[in-house]
Amino acid sequence: MGDYFHTDWAAMTVNDWVGLIMTVVVFFVMIWAYVYTFNPKNRDKLEAQRHIPFADDDDFRNGEKK
Amino acid sequence: MATAQVDDKYNFDVVRWFTVMAIVYLVVGTLVGVWIASELAWPVLNFDLAELTFGRLRSLHTNAVIFAFGGCTLMATGFYSVQRTSGVGLWSNKLAWFVFWGWNIIIVSAVITLPLGLTSGKEYAELEWPIDILIAVVWLAFSFNFAMTIANRKTSHIYVSNWFFLSMMVMITYLHVVNSLAIPVSLFKSYSIFSGVQDAMIQWWWGHNAVGFYLTAGFLGIMYYFVPKQAGRPIFSYRLSVIHFWALSFGYVWLGAHHLQYTALPDWTGSIGAAVSLAMIIPSWGGAINGMMTLSGAWDKLREDYILRFLIMSLAFYAMSTFEGPVMSSKTVNALSHYTDWTIGHVHSGALGWVAMVAAGALYHMIEKLWNTKMYSAGLVNLHFWLATIGTVVYITAMWVSGIMQGLMWRDYTEFGTLTYTFAESVAAMHPYYAMRAIGGMIYWTGGAVMLYNTIMTIRHASSNPSVQPSTRATAAA
Repeated sequence: MGDYFHTDWAAMTVNDWVGLIMTVVVFFVMIWAYVYTFNPKNRDKLEAQRHIPFADDDDFRNGEKK
Repeated sequence: MATAQVDDKYNFDVVRWFTVMAIVYLVVGTLVGVWIASELAWPVLNFDLAELTFGRLRSLHTNAVIFAFGGCTLMATGFYSVQRTSGVGLWSNKLAWFVFWGWNIIIVSAVITLPLGLTSGKEYAELEWPIDILIAVVWLAFSFNFAMTIANRKTSHIYVSNWFFLSMMVMITYLHVVNSLAIPVSLFKSYSIFSGVQDAMIQWWWGHNAVGFYLTAGFLGIMYYFVPKQAGRPIFSYRLSVIHFWALSFGYVWLGAHHLQYTALPDWTGSIGAAVSLAMIIPSWGGAINGMMTLSGAWDKLREDYILRFLIMSLAFYAMSTFEGPVMSSKTVNALSHYTDWTIGHVHSGALGWVAMVAAGALYHMIEKLWNTKMYSAGLVNLHFWLATIGTVVYITAMWVSGIMQGLMWRDYTEFGTLTYTFAESVAAMHPYYAMRAIGGMIYWTGGAVMLYNTIMTIRHASSNPSVQPSTRATAAA
């Protein structure tokens, strides 16, 4: 197992470091996204957007344009 | 009059044309597919004409169904839903028409060049460099018009379907440009700037993300708008859709390497591709469940609403193929499945079952709204649904059996350590399944032809029957 996860840090190129840093940053951003989205405090704010596709139905209901 | 109001506020003419062309290309693209599937079962069908051989028509089939049918569907639904969710017309109607004509010129160029053998040789990116440049220009025009329409929106929030469309636009621009980088040596011949294993990695970075962002993110944008609209209920969980979006956008870009297991690509690259593929089951199933659960408490709608059936059945195939794909990407299963027809079965489970069915549902929904009428025949919509479902099942079952049989025959050894079967024997064993696949494809194509007939009759009927009551029009226009 130790051999499998062994990393030769000295051999890392600039591309390797850029990729590694972006990956770790994205990993933490995803954790933040999960916490933010499923935090009960944000529930009503986010779920209120569910109705956007139906907003323009109201505009045209009964032939009245608002 | 509600219809006049809708047409005053929104730019729907270009959407109508994209809608009709999408259905035409569905019929044409799948017909070419049925033809080449038949060629594999009965090779005499190529008539010894180079232009009709499988190698040339296969890329015409993939380009027709992915970029002609899929592209027109994405442009129709994208331009339609972005206007309705933003509460404004398109930023530029002229630019939208440029996109329509530009995209159709690209399709005509593909129809001419691919049978002539003019190809870059890169899978799902076969068109030569002048056409690649035109694709980039038209795609950017589509993306810019879409983004500017959002910028002009009257709502404070950007609805999740638009996020999925935008993700597709950004990533496909990036993927198409990088994958198509080439050195032209003549007007219709160029060579990729990449070579060897780097070329393979770039190819499949593009190839799988064309699936991930074009055929998945884009069509999820369709799902998140049209499933709630057709069901008349808001999406089950908006929070789940947010996680679905970000997990899919960050995750999909890793997967390409799983196409290159057991090749010259470094082993760890394939491992990470497989690991992230397996992780992607979570957001994919989250999205599928989110779409299906939108019907929670109203499942009875499926009994009578045939358009909704397309949308919900597509989600079942989406869930199935996003489970199958990761399983096939794992090294153990890949050792059996790679290079076999199982891959073709998997692709068509996603393409016929997910992409084309969600597209059909969305196109039917739009036809009723855009022409302010009901479909000419609900019975024909139902017939199309069953032909599409049965055709898909026949097709993918044939390829699953054929593919697993192929893999098992290729790896079978005798007690002396020699191969039990020659390659030719495995080809001969596949013949009945190739015939079955062609029949499945023909059933699916028949469904598309029924849809085209129903659409033509609907439009003709709507055009010749302007006496629809205003109150009815208001309902239909919404």
